[in-house]
Amino acid sequence: MPEEVKAQITGVVFQVVTKSGDRVQGGDPIVVLESMKMEIPVEAPRPGTVIEVKVKEGETVQEGDTVALLD
Amino acid sequence: MGMKELVEDLRARRRRLHQLGGPEAVAKQHAAGKLTARERLDLLFDPSTFVEIGLHATHQSTSPIMAGRDTPADGVITGFGKVDGRPVSAIAYDFTVMAGSMGRTGETKCARIRELALTKRIPLVWFIDSAGARIQEATGSWFSGSGYLFREESIMSGVVPLVAAMMGPGAAGTAYIPGLADFVPMVKGTSHMALGGPPLVKAVVGEDVTPDELGGSKVHCELSGVGDLEVLDDRSCVEAIRAYLSYLPSSNLEAPPLVPCDDPVDRMEEELLTIVPDNPRRAYDMKRVITHIVDGGRFFELKPGWARNLIIGLARMGGRSMGIVANQPLVMGGVLDVNAADKAARFILLCDAFNIPLLFLQDVPGFMVGSKVEREGIIRHGAKMLYAVSEATVPKVTVIVRKAYGAGYYVMCGRAYEPDLIVAWPTAEISVMGPEGATNIIFRKEIQAAPDPEGERARRVEEFRKLINPYIAAGAAFVDDIIDPRETRPVVIRALEMANGKRVERPWKKHGVMPV
Repeated sequence: MPEEVKAQITGVVFQVVTKSGDRVQGGDPIVVLESMKMEIPVEAPRPGTVIEVKVKEGETVQEGDTVALLD
Repeated sequence: MGMKELVEDLRARRRRLHQLGGPEAVAKQHAAGKLTARERLDLLFDPSTFVEIGLHATHQSTSPIMAGRDTPADGVITGFGKVDGRPVSAIAYDFTVMAGSMGRTGETKCARIRELALTKRIPLVWFIDSAGARIQEATGSWFSGSGYLFREESIMSGVVPLVAAMMGPGAAGTAYIPGLADFVPMVKGTSHMALGGPPLVKAVVGEDVTPDELGGSKVHCELSGVGDLEVLDDRSCVEAIRAYLSYLPSSNLEAPPLVPCDDPVDRMEEELLTIVPDNPRRAYDMKRVITHIVDGGRFFELKPGWARNLIIGLARMGGRSMGIVANQPLVMGGVLDVNAADKAARFILLCDAFNIPLLFLQDVPGFMVGSKVEREGIIRHGAKMLYAVSEATVPKVTVIVRKAYGAGYYVMCGRAYEPDLIVAWPTAEISVMGPEGATNIIFRKEIQAAPDPEGERARRVEEFRKLINPYIAAGAAFVDDIIDPRETRPVVIRALEMANGKRVERPWKKHGVMPV
């Protein structure tokens, strides 16, 4: 069952650091948001494989939006 | 009977009552991974200091449902003893007797303990493992005579420390006890609390939910903020209570205990030079700063799983208890939101009530902005933190580690909020807002009119950035000093020693109108 990885804060996607197929450990950044002039990583909640990153650099995301799917 | 027989009779009664709800019920309690109320009290109190009140109490109900029921101690063990040599009172609900339900005789015992604790100014610890009100005894409008406990607990709040440990269920009546208490540890897996348990929830709103989903330790320690600490079992729960109480005075009339400190006051930790990254937009773990400066690296964090963008907890510096409020750049950049403000405000009130000095470690990009937080009432919650820090008259020390932006700087005990010492690391950035935001507002027209707006914006941003420099704040004597990060521990301890006799007079009022 794929897990939705959600943004915990509203901001702009500063950097997409993973792509589909990447293996990640829990706590690894999947994308980095810029909010309140800070770089805020959206971290993998557990180890897994990234199925899809759903956002692009420069895109605005709201708190609670899904930024990636984790296998 | 002669005296000898009378004493024999007494001992026999005690033996029977000490068996609680009987061997079978005790075995079930143990099988559920829980200790009994008496075993919990044995762990809490220093050996052979417990004095029990109300052992022989039993239900007095004339209700036919209660006829023939045996309720040893009426389902709640009450008394007082010593914790680390200091008197503490306790109320331990006994799940082996009618599921620890609150009977009328048992509640008379609890009222007596509350009275003892309040008039003698000693802490009160509840062990909650109870189905809630004993409805077999108090059906229908008998209810009209109940509810004293919450009023009395409210009156006790801020006078004596109140601990409500969740070590089993706590439904309805027993869920507001932790709601009003200062410290609420919850045992993982066995404890849960809710205003209405799953059967009631199903009947009234039609929701199917397990006790754990409804009000388990994860819900309350990570989502609702009602719980203070998730602990693994009963034993570690009692250890946490003893540790918590060690930082607090017996009442608001006393200073917290001063313990001998073998950690040198002037210890300079080299690692403090390497924690804050060179890139000011990068996160780091503020807990590393805390553990390097407190006595022995020991930090008793409260609510570690909730509103993690702000850290609160108790520690000692130079042997003195200290409450620490610190931004956590590692989570959401350390921005303040409604829960973080709520968490900080309540903790500041706690420390101020019990004469515990406060240390603020600032690295805050500001309060979160946007429509979501406005609808959540960020103004009201932020005001709560302003109110608490303004009201606090305990010694206050502020260290600006890095960012100190906007009202974030105020609520984290900026210059205007009466810190007894306010110092900054050389990395400090103090400003109403960041260079980008400020430039866009101040120079909007100039930027629009420029032949190269983006170049103009970048140039203005760089110019504004030069105005964000801690030596400007220190030059105006708004910040007391710029310190080498390694000097943090000695400087904070010296400030605490200086501020020990702090006295602040406030204008008389019944009470303020706190923006809750």
